[in-house]
Amino acid sequence: MNYELNDAVISLRDINKTYPGVVPLHVLKDVSLDIRKGELVSIMGASGSGKSTLLNILGILDNYDSGSYHLDGVLIKDLSENRAAELRNRMIGFVFQSFNLINYKNALENVALPLFYQGISRKKRNALAMEQLERMGLADRAHHLPGELSGGQKQRVAIARALVTKPSLILADEPTGALDSKTSKEVMQVFRDLNDTGMTIVIVTHDPTVGAATDRIIRIVDGSIDQNSKF
Amino acid sequence: MFDLFREISQTIKNNKLRTILTGIAVAWGIFMLIVLLGAARGVVNNYEEESSSSSVNSIRLWSGTTSLPYKGYKDGRWIRLQDNDMDAISGEVSTVSDVAISTTASGFNIVGPKDYISGGFEAVYPDECRTQRIYEIEGRFINQKDINDLRRVIVLSRDNAALLFGDAEKALGEEVKAMNLSWKVVGIYNHRWRKSAFVPYTTYKAITGGDGYVDQMTVRVEGISTDTEAEETESQVRTVLARRHEFDPEDPNAVWIWNQFASFLKQGQAMVYLNLAVWIIGILTLLTGIVGVSNIMFVSVRERVHEIGIRRAIGAKPKNIIIQILAESVVITTIFGYIGIVAGMALLELLKPILEDKAGFSNPTVDISIAVQVTLALIVAGALAGLFPAIKATKVKPVEALRDE
Ligand SMILES: Nc1ncnc2c1ncn2[C@@H]1O[C@H](COP(=O)(O)OP(=O)(O)OP(=O)(O)O)[C@@H](O)[C@H]1O
Ligand SMILES: [Mg+2]
Repeated sequence: MNYELNDAVISLRDINKTYPGVVPLHVLKDVSLDIRKGELVSIMGASGSGKSTLLNILGILDNYDSGSYHLDGVLIKDLSENRAAELRNRMIGFVFQSFNLINYKNALENVALPLFYQGISRKKRNALAMEQLERMGLADRAHHLPGELSGGQKQRVAIARALVTKPSLILADEPTGALDSKTSKEVMQVFRDLNDTGMTIVIVTHDPTVGAATDRIIRIVDGSIDQNSKF
Repeated sequence: MFDLFREISQTIKNNKLRTILTGIAVAWGIFMLIVLLGAARGVVNNYEEESSSSSVNSIRLWSGTTSLPYKGYKDGRWIRLQDNDMDAISGEVSTVSDVAISTTASGFNIVGPKDYISGGFEAVYPDECRTQRIYEIEGRFINQKDINDLRRVIVLSRDNAALLFGDAEKALGEEVKAMNLSWKVVGIYNHRWRKSAFVPYTTYKAITGGDGYVDQMTVRVEGISTDTEAEETESQVRTVLARRHEFDPEDPNAVWIWNQFASFLKQGQAMVYLNLAVWIIGILTLLTGIVGVSNIMFVSVRERVHEIGIRRAIGAKPKNIIIQILAESVVITTIFGYIGIVAGMALLELLKPILEDKAGFSNPTVDISIAVQVTLALIVAGALAGLFPAIKATKVKPVEALRDE
């Protein structure tokens, strides 16, 4: 299938990434990939195949060696750290396997933190954060610390934090990896519901049931996109 | 701004132990600095007080022993100052305005209605109170009329007056017995450590018949302002005595001379060095503090790499991270530095009576302007201490920071 470039939130062309070292490791090999606005996509592959590396590049957390990456039409290459931070803040919401919440901040403060870096007033931040927590069904947990929440609740707080800046894209690296199957299903339902509202979501996963719950599975085999990936 | 402080207070609360350890290091350093500055101030104040008193304009002389043979005399001869040297010196040396002599008379008791003190007294001239820096006198010191009229009057220290009369307030105008004669108490003085009783030299000499030998002589000089002039006067005094007692005017040991004026000038130099030393020590203390805080900030940043990674993933710019770490460092140093300042000033205030009484300090405190300067220095120090760890924190790539657990 072919997509118009301006229709794609994410557009990768011939991306290569090598980790330098005594034995340099060529992790991504000529990866080309388009993800349309509103898609719910999963990236699957064996351990060490390069899934996280790809997702980090998508999230502008890491750079790549050659090729091109357009995010919402903007070329993401050799950006200054300031510009990268700004794009991460405005366009991308992250969800991680280990939640990555700040343990001494309560749920509300964690969710509101991205807005702090936009210079939004505390009152407004808290209102917006509360809105997202309500959406995740966690309004009553707003003032609990992460340590007082279950895994599924933590992940929903993390999703609320990813959503609070109204990004164009959610990137999730093994979001269900630390959860039991029942909670995994719940979290996947959250992603599906979000996707129904038009949010573009990319999920890296090992779990076939998670993959099955997405519109499209992109398989990575040894650093290359498997051409038999489901479209 | 307020948000930033909320952030900082959260991280500080979350790292109580580390914060307290850093804080103690900073507070201790500043505490030492303040105590040091205060002590130095005390020494300088004391010096300034004494230099403004006239006692430094004097040259003191004691009997000595010749160290050079002279005109057929062998060396090792004892040269004793005599009371009539006094007139010779004031007559012949133009810069000398006044000469006072004093000698210690001992071997008898001073007896009061309640108790007695053994030892004796010092027979002196009126000027002795300046020489011995006795300023707080109730009643009066020995005066010229006492000298002229050979009055039997005595000046006691407050402690001894209290001992002899049971109460120092009762002593003035009363009489004590000494050398089988009664003496009228005309003055009670207060001094940090002096205890001697004083009587007029002439009275003492008349009573004992006296040989005219005296222990020491104080020559007050006038109209000189330089080292050379002070030394010139000193050598003129020595020459007069050399002629009268037949010793080599070049002999430094025949009479002992302490030229307070010259040593006053040298002390001035010493004070400059003292001040300098205190500032150098102070700056070093502060530097040690900076290094300490910086190290702890490094550790703290190291501990928080993961958290910093999270913050950057959700949009913190390097400058946000730097500002937060700097501000945190400044807040810690300033708060604890302030505690150090207050503790240091409190200690000085507490020790002030003891230091002033026993150790020759005068008003050993640090004034507010110094405290403000130290506080400003602290803020700068805190910023410096946080700067390098902060910059280092932003050099870690976000991916790596997130991987750090
Ligand atoms: N910073 C790094 N430096 C060197 N090698 C790295 C680095 N990060 C990852 N690698 C290597 O690159 C390869 C791909 O890593 P990546 O994390 O992308 O795999 P993955 O597909 O996410 O695996 P998993 O399913 O286990 O998370 C692995 O062999 C890994 O060891
Ligand atoms: Mg991975």
